[in-house]
Amino acid sequence: MKKAYLASAILIGLSSSAHAEIRINGFANLVAGVTSSDDSLYEFDEDINFATGSLFALQVSGDINEDITATAQLIARGNDDFQVDFEWAYFTYAASDDLSVSVGRFRSPLFRYSSSLDVGYSYHWIAPPQVVYDVVFNNIDGLRLDYSNYAGDFEYSLQAVFGNFEAPDGGGVVTGDNTLILTGEVSYESFKARAVYGVADKIDFDLPALNAAITQVSAGSEALENFLLAEDDKAEFIGVGLEYDNFKYFISGEYTITKLEESFFSTEDAYYITGGVRLGKWTPSVTYENFDNMNPFKGGEFISQLPPPFIAPVTGGVNALQSTFRNDTTTYTATIRYDLKANIALKGDVSRFDSDVRDIEDATLYRFAVNYVF
Amino acid sequence: MMKLLGYTLLLTAIFCSQAFAKSVVVVHPDNTASISAKDVQRIFLGKEKKFSTGDETIPVNLPADNATRTNFDDAVLGRSTAQVAAYWAKLVFTGKGIPPKELNSDADVINLIKSNKSVIGYIDESAVTGDVKVVSLN
Repeated sequence: MKKAYLASAILIGLSSSAHAEIRINGFANLVAGVTSSDDSLYEFDEDINFATGSLFALQVSGDINEDITATAQLIARGNDDFQVDFEWAYFTYAASDDLSVSVGRFRSPLFRYSSSLDVGYSYHWIAPPQVVYDVVFNNIDGLRLDYSNYAGDFEYSLQAVFGNFEAPDGGGVVTGDNTLILTGEVSYESFKARAVYGVADKIDFDLPALNAAITQVSAGSEALENFLLAEDDKAEFIGVGLEYDNFKYFISGEYTITKLEESFFSTEDAYYITGGVRLGKWTPSVTYENFDNMNPFKGGEFISQLPPPFIAPVTGGVNALQSTFRNDTTTYTATIRYDLKANIALKGDVSRFDSDVRDIEDATLYRFAVNYVF
Repeated sequence: MMKLLGYTLLLTAIFCSQAFAKSVVVVHPDNTASISAKDVQRIFLGKEKKFSTGDETIPVNLPADNATRTNFDDAVLGRSTAQVAAYWAKLVFTGKGIPPKELNSDADVINLIKSNKSVIGYIDESAVTGDVKVVSLN
């Protein structure tokens, strides 16, 4: 509700301003995907599907005065029945040529490609590597500071974001209050390096099915239950990225760690490495992804305080619950991009996903995409 | 086989004729700013909004399928027009920048420069007139 108000406020602000030169831009991704045999991956299965990865978006922006710009982005996603949603809506105040302040709803700058995540045209993949980019929340409501400058051939930018997020997940809602994200990026000629640290002071997983299961396996131990539940807990996110791109070929990678220490959640390590060559209008590339959260089971220090007869069965239950979230996976993807025109790209890819923990998840996915910007 | 060869030659000819469109960067004759190749790159990639004199810059592009644009993107920005478009797509949809306006022809670029001293553009070498000053990028 809040975001709808904000968005309307921005649109009214734009339409009532005499200075406003309204800019309308848009982008679209049309993605078709099918898996081999009865596999399923990233919401695709053996029946060809045109909706899951597809989206249409419009961005409206305008200058309210010399220093303040309003931006609203509307997206209709295929996996949401193409219902139109205000993805972003914010005001930006350019305090100087190097520093700007934005207020509203915007993308959380967790990853190298976070800000253009939905703009398929802006990267060489059909979708960014899922093991890294598949996080519960992508947008945040709050305040953002952007600073960028250069010294000689070094260009650098710093960003600080403070706010709250709320995202639907697994039949419930995940919320994060007092979330702070700091990023730094430097580039020198063809090299680019990026680091990000994020901390959410109070994370809450309001997921009824999961929370009921936690209560059940805790067997009446309040200390154990409180530990396992993700309730008012601190979450941390660390990420680093490196890139070399000389416009003829490129190689880059990102490594991320996600932690929620005081809970059932096992620390996740994910990374990808990608490389490709630009041959005129063609950009063939390969990507390797790895995900691992196979850490020792948590909660042992609370279970050991239970009466001896409970220890074995409770350990069994608690570990079984955690096991459902544990995985160790690798993905190989080969992609080809073809620049049809200066604003249209065609892409095809094939991905092979392997889980070392559950063979049933292994899958091969074929996708074809058209990306458009205007 | 011959057909394929003929086709390849034709493509090569088209490609070469494009490569011959040599672009030169132009500004208003009264513009006294010192402008290096690096400055032009920063201005056309939206990283620099002012000339060395402190005056505002208004960069203008030619259309994406224009041979002079192809030459400029390649020689000065060091990347293909499609890569430049992908770069701007990233900035536009993150609210971090607005790409240079596109004008239709060399003559339009010259006319705009005549009427606005902040404009910086590029045109084909052969189209230069006394209304603009060529920026030496060395």
